[in-house]
Amino acid sequence: MRGNKFMGLLCAATMAASLFTGVGTLGADATESVTAVTGDAQSLGTPLADVRVRQALAYAIDMDTIVDTLFDGKATRATSFTSPGEWLNTDIPVYDYNPDKAKDLLSEANWDPNYTLDVVYYYDDQQTVDLMTIIQQYWSDVGVKSQFRKLEGDLAAQLWVPPTDMVNGPSEVKWDLAYAAVAALTESEFYNRFASTASNNSTVPKQDGLDELIEASNSTMDKDEQIAAFKKIQQVVAENVLAMPLYHQVCFIYTSSDLDMKGNPVGNDQFSYEKNILDWNINRDDHTLYTNGGPQEFFWYPMVNPGYMLNTELLFDKLIDADESLNPTDGMLAESYEVSDDNKTITFHLRDGLKWQDDEPLTGDDVKFTIELMLKTPGTNAVASEAMSCITGAQDYKDGKTDDLAGVTVDGNDVTVNFDKVSANALQVFSQWPILPEHCLKDADPNTLQQNEFWQHPIGSGPFMVDEVVLNNYCTLKRWDGYWKKGTGNIETIYEFASGENDSNLVKNASAGKIDYAWSKSTDDAKAIEALDNMKVEQANIRYTRCFYINQFPHEPNIK
Amino acid sequence: MASYITRKILSLIPMTLILSFMIYLGMDLMPGDAVDYLIPPDALSTMSQEQLEQMRESLGLNEPLVVRYVKWLGGLFHGNFGYSLQSGVPVSTLMKDYLPATLELTIAALLISSILGILLGVISAIRRGGALDQILSVFGMIGVAIPQFLLGLICIDIFALHMNVLPVGGRMAYQGQGFFQRLQYLIMPALVLGFSMTAGVMRYARSSMLDSMGKDYMKTARAKGIPEWRVNLVHGLRAALTPVVVLIGFRLPMLIGGAVVVEEVFQWPGIGTLFVKAVRSQNTPVVMMIGFFSVLLVLISSILVDILTAALDPRVKLS
Repeated sequence: MRGNKFMGLLCAATMAASLFTGVGTLGADATESVTAVTGDAQSLGTPLADVRVRQALAYAIDMDTIVDTLFDGKATRATSFTSPGEWLNTDIPVYDYNPDKAKDLLSEANWDPNYTLDVVYYYDDQQTVDLMTIIQQYWSDVGVKSQFRKLEGDLAAQLWVPPTDMVNGPSEVKWDLAYAAVAALTESEFYNRFASTASNNSTVPKQDGLDELIEASNSTMDKDEQIAAFKKIQQVVAENVLAMPLYHQVCFIYTSSDLDMKGNPVGNDQFSYEKNILDWNINRDDHTLYTNGGPQEFFWYPMVNPGYMLNTELLFDKLIDADESLNPTDGMLAESYEVSDDNKTITFHLRDGLKWQDDEPLTGDDVKFTIELMLKTPGTNAVASEAMSCITGAQDYKDGKTDDLAGVTVDGNDVTVNFDKVSANALQVFSQWPILPEHCLKDADPNTLQQNEFWQHPIGSGPFMVDEVVLNNYCTLKRWDGYWKKGTGNIETIYEFASGENDSNLVKNASAGKIDYAWSKSTDDAKAIEALDNMKVEQANIRYTRCFYINQFPHEPNIK
Repeated sequence: MASYITRKILSLIPMTLILSFMIYLGMDLMPGDAVDYLIPPDALSTMSQEQLEQMRESLGLNEPLVVRYVKWLGGLFHGNFGYSLQSGVPVSTLMKDYLPATLELTIAALLISSILGILLGVISAIRRGGALDQILSVFGMIGVAIPQFLLGLICIDIFALHMNVLPVGGRMAYQGQGFFQRLQYLIMPALVLGFSMTAGVMRYARSSMLDSMGKDYMKTARAKGIPEWRVNLVHGLRAALTPVVVLIGFRLPMLIGGAVVVEEVFQWPGIGTLFVKAVRSQNTPVVMMIGFFSVLLVLISSILVDILTAALDPRVKLS
């Protein structure tokens, strides 16, 4: 009954959104847009199924002021998941702070003032708590009650379980809105989750046309075509407020006055990009560069996140290099590579005489081994595992039907990867995920790869190799003479203080002159380090968006 | 006394088992499990439930609580303390790596606080009501009141950042440095931890000393013409030491987990920070091992305190 009513209230989004809300100008692709729900918000199984309620919630928040005050201007207000730049559709509707409009929309939707939104979050930093408190107040000002609670425990089960019926629901999660973040390598990480087939879509019912738009964005390796496809998706997401992007975090890069980076640009340090560190000069007698990110219990495990720590980036080479915006560029371990016209075959030509830091030869077999390992490791990042899954024979290999991944062939220095269907992000994946040594990891259980002793003292193929390791204290990397490229710089040793993802000692060490290069996303770190005479702070835009996911599937109110 | 000690040691076995099970149960009752922490929340949203279940299965997290506990206990009897769920490193290796750092710090702090606390407490009692007593009382109050992290940060600011005479943190600059080369790293954290512990010992020593100074045997000693310093130090101090020794004895468990804040502030690679991290990440084998040692140390301390009390106070008989 509820489902029928829900379905009956579906109407064309473009027209309805314009008529009811008057938001933004719909672009030329509006006819391809999705359907939105309009009518009585209280009768849809959840008031959040009504686009006017979602729009009202967006209008009610003054994100510009929040960014200026809470974040001291060191973040960017988000109008879309996509960060400002060439990938952003600037014609999408923008929900500038307008409390009167919010009240009107709520009134039109017959918003029940007694309904209390159940809002969840999982970060435990003070800034998140402050932000939640501020947003609660903004919503209260337009007559929307909300309660915020922090989730503990099995987050995946509480947040990202999709309903069995992706049209009518009911919801498999209890909350109304979830505050979350997406740290993305590619645009698809922002938008694939809105597809009705996505394994983590717990919030957005199947929308007419959206699955096709998402499929189109995933079916080309051509950057211009990808940009055009994602702009259409952005339009749909924004018009219908399928989720509510709040702000983009930026990456702060800290460098000391002792370091000369020889004009190399800084970029998105959440991933790997060509820094040309072998050309850098350090003004210290011992030619040591100080940084953080040293291992606490083990060296960062690259399957989930391949370039988060500088040591992963410097210890392991990838097949392809990337620029500071993470666009794939030249070959790295591969001297060159070619993509076939139909985008379904990539051939890598490995350099001659490559070797591992223990002098074992690095061959095409290591490349194939790494791809196979990525396929079998449960924790492999979604973008990487998606790309790997497109390789011919991937499913059979994952299912254990064969020990040989048919889609990857090795012929001397040439490694050919054949795909059953185009993997839009394959080049990005090969420019970020390192090639791992088969001779060290061939006996590793993929399910417990992170626990393998290899990560205590890894052997790589990058410009620096592990020297000393005192876990949870420091480690040193030394310049590796066997690297295929020689630089002009003078850094011989990299001294890394042990730290996790958030380094509480970063400012202290920088104050003591013991940080020459580091990065973080913390505005507090940036403010403190800016004040130091010996340090410089630069910013880089990154794909990192904080947002609310809005549960639009029917569900009982969690707060009564 | 021998039978008393034997009985006490035997009683350790059931108590250790009960307490270790309670820790295991506590870990199990916490929301979520280790897999939820192995994958960062942002990446978690892109993983399927099947993938997560596969990881749980591989790590043995899907077995019933009792089975997991018995397996852990069985391993313990065979000298296998398990593996860190985060890194796969044997817990015994972690203990070997982390425990010496913590012991180095806490033993230094315990020595500083015990010697300084008893000394200042006795002086304060002897100079009761005088200017020195007042100053030391204020000193004691500050020591009790000031949080370790604040004192630590103040010290770093003064000695490391402005005067540049001590390192800002860590335990060593390079591997292979001897104790005396590493001493510069130990000074600040040991003094900060020691200072915060000194106040308690000092206040105990002062009140205990004052108590014993009013006793008849002190008057008798003075009446026999024994010099005042000897009366105070030999007759007074010995009796006054009993409650102080009890206090110090009960601080022994702190040797393992009592320096968390100081370790964090001074980037000291000790077991305290490991323990906190292990609890947060539900790394049960690591938590169990540290918890087990702590339990054992508390129980052993209790026996030691009994023995020392009997040794110091002739009125106490162990039976």
